[in-house]
Amino acid sequence: MIFIKSIYNEVIKIALKPRSYLGIAAITVLVGVILFALKSDGMSIISFVTSSFEQTLSFEGNVLNGNLVAFIILQMLIVQIPLLIALVTGDLVSGEAAMGTIRLLLTQPISRTQLLLSKFMAGGIYTLIVIVWLGFMSVIMGKMLFGTGDLMVLNSDGLVILQEADVNWRYLGGFLVAFLALFTVSSLSICLSCFTDNSIGPIVTTMSIILLFTIIGTLDVHVFDSVRPFLLTTHMASWRSFFEDPLPIQDIKNSILILLIHNILLISISIYVFNKKDITA
Amino acid sequence: MSEKIIEIKSIAKKFGLFEAVKDVSFHVNQGDVFGFLGPNGAGKSTTIRCMLSLIKPDSGSIEIFGKSIFKHRNEILSRTGSIIEKPDFYKYLSAYKNLEIFSRLSRVSIGKKEIYNMLDFVGLGGREQDKFSSFSHGMKQRLGIAQTLLHNPDLIVLDEPTTGLDPQGIIDIRNLILRLKNEQHKTVILSSHNLAEIEIICNRMVIINKGVSVVEGDVKALMNNEDLVVRLELSDKDKSKAVILSQYPNIQITDINDTSIELPMEKSKISELNKDLVQAGIGIFSIEAKRKLEDYFIKMVNA
Amino acid sequence: MLRLFILLCVSNMVLGQDANKTVASVISQMNRVKNYTVDARIKSDIPLIKILPVKAKIEFKQPDEIKMKTQGIAILPKKGFTDLAIMLKNKSSYTAIFTGYEVVQKIKTESITLLPSNDAGEIVLAKIWVNTGEALILKSQITTRTNGTVVADYLYGKQKEFGLPDELTFSVDVKKFKIPKGVVVDINRTKTAEEPKNQGKMGTIHILFSNYSINSL
Repeated sequence: MIFIKSIYNEVIKIALKPRSYLGIAAITVLVGVILFALKSDGMSIISFVTSSFEQTLSFEGNVLNGNLVAFIILQMLIVQIPLLIALVTGDLVSGEAAMGTIRLLLTQPISRTQLLLSKFMAGGIYTLIVIVWLGFMSVIMGKMLFGTGDLMVLNSDGLVILQEADVNWRYLGGFLVAFLALFTVSSLSICLSCFTDNSIGPIVTTMSIILLFTIIGTLDVHVFDSVRPFLLTTHMASWRSFFEDPLPIQDIKNSILILLIHNILLISISIYVFNKKDITA
Repeated sequence: MSEKIIEIKSIAKKFGLFEAVKDVSFHVNQGDVFGFLGPNGAGKSTTIRCMLSLIKPDSGSIEIFGKSIFKHRNEILSRTGSIIEKPDFYKYLSAYKNLEIFSRLSRVSIGKKEIYNMLDFVGLGGREQDKFSSFSHGMKQRLGIAQTLLHNPDLIVLDEPTTGLDPQGIIDIRNLILRLKNEQHKTVILSSHNLAEIEIICNRMVIINKGVSVVEGDVKALMNNEDLVVRLELSDKDKSKAVILSQYPNIQITDINDTSIELPMEKSKISELNKDLVQAGIGIFSIEAKRKLEDYFIKMVNA
Repeated sequence: MLRLFILLCVSNMVLGQDANKTVASVISQMNRVKNYTVDARIKSDIPLIKILPVKAKIEFKQPDEIKMKTQGIAILPKKGFTDLAIMLKNKSSYTAIFTGYEVVQKIKTESITLLPSNDAGEIVLAKIWVNTGEALILKSQITTRTNGTVVADYLYGKQKEFGLPDELTFSVDVKKFKIPKGVVVDINRTKTAEEPKNQGKMGTIHILFSNYSINSL
């Protein structure tokens, strides 16, 4: 029961912190700008993508529809969203130390493990809210402005056109995996937060790790092939696998497993460090 | 004989190469208002944090309510309220919201009414919805006290509770602590640099210095073993000194200025000294016994 | 050599009239159709593109107004769907030359090359294989300046009297198809991707027509 109350406390703290709304506002503005740009001249983006095909073929139908718009938005924001998550979750432990409230918090009759887990849960709830908002802004607003239709996806092995009826469940699956990936980012930032009393350090470190891993993931060199399968960022983009045909079920399962393992490791390390930590702040 | 509420035995704590606490032992009885004294850097804060499980000592034992803090942490903390150093709350939350957050973690059901009553009690009535960031230092201190008492704990640990309070506030806290002791039979540990307060409020105390407990015991008993320091402002200092030395040849008299002297004296002999000086025709402008605890403290710390 | 040249010219003079006659018979059949609507099922099999069959509704009105409403995204050849009909009807835009007989779909057909009059036009060359008995085009080939060559095979059913096919199969040249680098952000791949090889040289688009409604608008 006290665990539930602690989760509620942590959610309230996040909800009443002004910084929490930065992420929501940023998504609103970013997606709004992308929607506006696509509405103004979206076809030129599509033409760039399909340029080599368009010499011989023509694509009939509502190509620039809400499904494609949502996909473009998700692709564009893939690096930004983790930052917005880390901005809030990276502060959950170290922020308390910086504020001095950790002294009071850790003299309450709740175990450190329960307290920390409640922070992880609250971070997860915040992540879910961000993802749901992103889904609403991209998919719902996208469909409202651009209508609906088949989804044209350009993968590295070719163009896939997914039928409209076949898209919604893919988005649902994609968002669920994206949530797991972002929850892993949240876990990483909270874990780093346990090591320091500095508020900004874990946020910056989380972002640096994400950027570094993203660069390693996108560099087209064989030397990183052994490392890539285990990088968090490799599996962060596994939501995209839901838009391949045929669906790479094994790859998706692998990604989910790796992300779960990341979470278990990060949470375990956090619990160990947090329990051992001397509170001198 | 009162039950031991806290028993600390030989705790030690090192941070890297620095030994913050080397060997601290003391006990606190049920119903004590216990003074916890020591100069800056003595290890008071570390000891209190060890007691409240914020820091794990390298060695030694800590028992509160007869149970080890390491094994029965939650149970002990549910009966304990504390302010450690300055009270820090969530700046972006109101006074009410801050107390509500912490009240949820106590094992006692605390409703809106109780929180409002407590805020009123500590003098923050009408400021319930104001953000903590807008509070003065004194108001923050009051909120800290409110949080400490909200769940009606049996043990209260107060670290510098009167810092930043106005004189009325200091008196209020003093009276509150005495009420907690006398009416509610709470046990209070009071760490303070205000030795006058300690002397008035506390019945037992420990002095620690350089990470080691120096002396522990009943305040009055410890003070009664020591002389008062009496300061006299006189019309004829030299004549006064001659009179005093004739009665007390080995006494150490210290010149303060042209008209004032200081000397150690048992309390019972002050009236006689006064009589001797008056009979010698010396005018006494003022006579005061210096705060004894200050001297005792300095003496213990420097020993 | 001179004798051969003269022979060709003479043959052309004689048989060129036949080419025009054949083309005219095809146009005449086409002109019987003032308008039509038809359901279409478009199945594309093109290297580097994965797409399921798509349904569409096509509406045609003379002389060259064609509307297509697809359920989803359909892929069609850029040139070759309506261009041939438009070209045929504009007699002054080309010269029809008989280039022999060929068997197409087990039927002896006249192979007619349509040379565009305008050298600078988009269509560089067109060719049709006509079943002269029924004045039906069984195969066509259009080569354009920018879009390569598109070959179409026609299969007729109940609507052959109107010159409207039941099935059309287009073959398109896909050698130039490439995945643009830098656009695809595949950070979820675990190995360095090998450049996807465009194995096929041709792609096909098969359209199945059904439920024709002719001259009813």
